[in-house]
Amino acid sequence: MNTWISALRSERIKLGRSQILLLAVFAPLISMLIGFLANLDSAGSEAEAWEGLLLAMSMLHAMFFLPMMTGIFSAFVCRYEHAGGGWKQILSLPVSRSALYMAKLLTVAGALALSQLLFSVGLLIVGAVKGFDLGSVPWDVLSARLIGGFVACLPLAALQLFVSTMWSSFAAPLVLNMIFTVPNILIANSATFGPYYPWVQPLLAMLPSGGGYDFGAFSLPFENLMITVGGSFVLFLAAGLIYFVRKPV
Amino acid sequence: MNEMMIETRNLTKKYKGTRAVDALNLAIPRGEIYGFLGPNGAGKTTTIRMLLGLIRPSSGVVQIFGQDLKRDRIKILRRVGSLVEYPSYYGHLNAVENLETIRRILNVPKTRIDEVLHTVGLTKDAKRHVKGYSLGMKQRLGIAAALLGSPELLILDEPTNGLDPSGILEIRELIKKMPQEQGITVLVSSHLLSEIEQMASSVGIVNQGKMIFQDSISNLQRKAGSEIHIALSDAEAAMITVREQGCFARLDQGKLIFKGIDDGQIARLVSALVDARHSIYRVEERRKSLEDLFLTMTSGASGSASEIAAIGSGAPRGAGLRKEVAQ
Repeated sequence: MNTWISALRSERIKLGRSQILLLAVFAPLISMLIGFLANLDSAGSEAEAWEGLLLAMSMLHAMFFLPMMTGIFSAFVCRYEHAGGGWKQILSLPVSRSALYMAKLLTVAGALALSQLLFSVGLLIVGAVKGFDLGSVPWDVLSARLIGGFVACLPLAALQLFVSTMWSSFAAPLVLNMIFTVPNILIANSATFGPYYPWVQPLLAMLPSGGGYDFGAFSLPFENLMITVGGSFVLFLAAGLIYFVRKPV
Repeated sequence: MNEMMIETRNLTKKYKGTRAVDALNLAIPRGEIYGFLGPNGAGKTTTIRMLLGLIRPSSGVVQIFGQDLKRDRIKILRRVGSLVEYPSYYGHLNAVENLETIRRILNVPKTRIDEVLHTVGLTKDAKRHVKGYSLGMKQRLGIAAALLGSPELLILDEPTNGLDPSGILEIRELIKKMPQEQGITVLVSSHLLSEIEQMASSVGIVNQGKMIFQDSISNLQRKAGSEIHIALSDAEAAMITVREQGCFARLDQGKLIFKGIDDGQIARLVSALVDARHSIYRVEERRKSLEDLFLTMTSGASGSASEIAAIGSGAPRGAGLRKEVAQ
């Protein structure tokens, strides 16, 4: 456990001094802009207005920004190790490979959590500016969707980290991620494939159920989606760990 | 006495049928600077990667500090510092921050960072981004990183590779100080015999994955033997004088060449030659160069003419051997 924490603290310096975390700020800012522009006059109640705002702001955020950021952060935490024999150096240190891998995954998760947190703050700010009643924020719905969106990124993070440790190129995992993120809008419509597709899971988790979104994979109950998310996370994490622990360096 | 820091038994690594490392038995006693010598592609780096647990041996045993590497890897690595091939660094961080990433894993006091930076002479540049460092400075930072955990064993793979002469000198002096000042045992690999000769106390020579020589550096030099060359005015006439003194010389381009004669004999020879009115221009000792010796050893194992040429000549070596690595 101690080595996990040391490895995590070591990762933090590398990330902290880079500009990559600006991404985690940038994505919520764009979503806020979309939120400001959204027309939510048709909402019946205050709670519905908040859910409408969440829907408007999550569309691009969950469909595009979250999967892209997951891929970028995962590739980034491996970037310096791939350059110039970094794996050799770090794996010659007294740290177990699984601890190092978990530290990297936790770093990715931390960056995503930060972005999701800023998104939540942004949502509240946009709502307040638009004059929604802060007293009638539907906290249960919002928190479930916001935390759900973060949790739904984790299988993808595990998968992308697996690919990023395997491929020594920084760009290759990103290209892969991009290729699989683009069809999100189509796959979300498929009730069969949608829930199992790691790139679309954040979108499925973040959009509020009900309203006009009851078709395709959106009709899947939130709980069932989380079970799929949990299962694929365990699967991708195990595959990545097994690979990394045996990887010749 | 003679406690082994590193010991391998029949260490073997196979890649698709070829043996990159073939039944290697390393034995490195405490306090030595062990020169690990061989042409590129001989299996040095592969061996070092196995010593650090970066790759798994196909068969054989690695023992470091008398402990089995397979079982006690983390415990062993805590006491080992290493630099494998290229120094790795985070360019967007300065030297202190780079070392801090490692310090957090090693869990040593913060003061160690200043100490190792002082040891390698980077104190002045500690706050600069490592991106802007010269290769020599990066290499020194790599050694600083290796020293950070106060290791008992230092494993350096080609630490002078790609450095200019002054950089090479700096690194060499740094390495030579380790056993005396800090009691560190050093394993240093190189493809340059002259490099190893100038810093190592014992030497292991590998070629094509096999150990072909392992002993002290002085025994290697003894094996190389030496010749006395005497240049003088009339070498042919001098042969008679030499024979009268009971010595045997070879005549080569107006020089007399003696093998295996002692100091007394040389003194008597010279005075006899002077008495016989020869003008002596030069008396010099020529050791059979270690390069030649290395050549005879390695060629015996490989028998490939092109490879011998690549090892034998100085300048084109890099090009010739890089090809081997690519294979």
